[in-house]
Amino acid sequence: MADVTLRPLTELDLEAVTSIDEKISGSYRPDEWENRVAYYIRRDAELSLVAVQGKDVVGFMLGEVRSGEFGLEETAGWIEVMGVDPDVQGQSIGKKLLEGMVKGFKARGAKKVRTLVDSKSQEALVKFFEATGFKATPTRLLDRPL
Amino acid sequence: MENVRSTRLPGKYHDAITRWQETFLPDLPLLEENWEKFFPRDPKFQLCAYRQCDMCGVIEVGKEQGKPKYQKATDMTEEQAGHLLKAIQAQASTEFGSIQQHQLTLARAQDEQDQFWALRVMAEELRHGYQMCHLLLEDDWKAVAPESGEQMVEEILSMRTGSHVLGAFNIDFDSFLDNIVFCALIDRVGKFQLAMQKVSAYQPMAESMPPMLVEEAFHLTAGVVPMRRWVSQAAKGKGFITMDAIQRALNKWFPRALDMFGDERGGGSNVKMGFKPMKNDEAMGKYIEEMEGIVRTLNVRYVRDRLPKLPREDAYALLDRVMESGDPEQGVRREDLLALPDKTFLRRRGIWAYEMRDTTGAEIKDVEQYKRTLYKTLPDAYPQGRDFKDYLRLVREVAAGTTTKEHAVGQMPELSRVGGVCPCARAVRWVVDGNGNGAH
Repeated sequence: MADVTLRPLTELDLEAVTSIDEKISGSYRPDEWENRVAYYIRRDAELSLVAVQGKDVVGFMLGEVRSGEFGLEETAGWIEVMGVDPDVQGQSIGKKLLEGMVKGFKARGAKKVRTLVDSKSQEALVKFFEATGFKATPTRLLDRPL
Repeated sequence: MENVRSTRLPGKYHDAITRWQETFLPDLPLLEENWEKFFPRDPKFQLCAYRQCDMCGVIEVGKEQGKPKYQKATDMTEEQAGHLLKAIQAQASTEFGSIQQHQLTLARAQDEQDQFWALRVMAEELRHGYQMCHLLLEDDWKAVAPESGEQMVEEILSMRTGSHVLGAFNIDFDSFLDNIVFCALIDRVGKFQLAMQKVSAYQPMAESMPPMLVEEAFHLTAGVVPMRRWVSQAAKGKGFITMDAIQRALNKWFPRALDMFGDERGGGSNVKMGFKPMKNDEAMGKYIEEMEGIVRTLNVRYVRDRLPKLPREDAYALLDRVMESGDPEQGVRREDLLALPDKTFLRRRGIWAYEMRDTTGAEIKDVEQYKRTLYKTLPDAYPQGRDFKDYLRLVREVAAGTTTKEHAVGQMPELSRVGGVCPCARAVRWVVDGNGNGAH
């Protein structure tokens, strides 16, 4: 197995990111990924990361540093979306991506790293984050249909 | 941005660039008014120079590798300083030049988001030009430059499309398609140059690069994402931009992008002097590889939107077969797909400069046949411009043996610069062509 390296997300990764998402979700959603990738590049072109093995992009983690939302005043790094190619899962690629993102968050003055996960439909993600030191907080996501 | 210091040029230079902006980037206030709508949460645009503070202080490549980086022009040999000065001037010219090109067709965008993305690109190019002026004015270049910093800035601000240092910046945009393809192709060369100059032995240059590279990353996105959407629309039979139009724009800009790397046989001096880590051919090769990847992903986007029920791997395989065999499959024809022109096509610098070749690289012997080929492969409006006329004249002369290839390569833009302030353009100087006719 070739080593996995991290580098910032670029517009060249659009196809790979779309393809990883398609393998995971079963849906081909290029429009959505074009919007997202463009958003994270313009927000901070060096923060969001992809994992590269050989010449292939095998994972990605997108996020940004924000503060002052919902009364959460302190500057925090938000992990908003991630994906690892199912063909190479089990190689700690997600963990590597997370470590890289955390380093970037710290360098930008973040005091915490946060994310939101659906505990029912994303059990594997919950386990991943718990295994890497995340804990559930009393802050709850509330919504209602409109 | 962390560890970044910002500075403003002394008043009269800042004001001169602001006046230039009022003429050539009049929509900057519009961008500022709409910033939150299109770029929520992003720091507001500021016209200033940025320098990264925590850069490596040791020369990373070349003969002087391992020694401390040069802090001032006078720390370098005359040859090094002269070489570097030309590079800074050329880069400054490209930054301001691209804004003049974008402005021509900015208003023709069909999509508001694309338009504001391009407008942000223009504003950031203005900042990059400002950054280069900062390098010219911050140091003392007297030993290698006949002009003062003030004169150098004045000269750069006086340049117009047609009198810029590099060919890609002397070509008028014909439609908004050019704005986008230019971002995807020409700004990409900018990315390569900036990334190489990040290791520059001249510390102020190296420190200028990281903030510019961060901005450049968005410029490339502002090119590639709209192209992908246009391809998608074309595949669905919607939209107004055809695959043929995109192909012609690629044919127009790709050769200019390659020329920007310089002669394939050169670039050794930059490496030896510690200014760049790669020679021209190596950097160009990487650029071509990157562009091949982009064209492939655009084609994937096309095939998948054309045949939405086709599984991903099957779409890749179909694309490869159609490209290789030329035989249509499930309604997808090779002529519907994009192809990068051969690196020998339409070149004006380097090994293949002024050779008559088609987009596949096949040689054409007859000038008239070559002209017809160019008409078939370039955007309709392009051959009607002066740039094309001048190019074809040189091709004819080289083919007839009345001009050498080397002489043709060395031909500077036809426009020349003269003194005097142009009050109506509010530029620092104004430009006349070789016949003494006013250019405005």
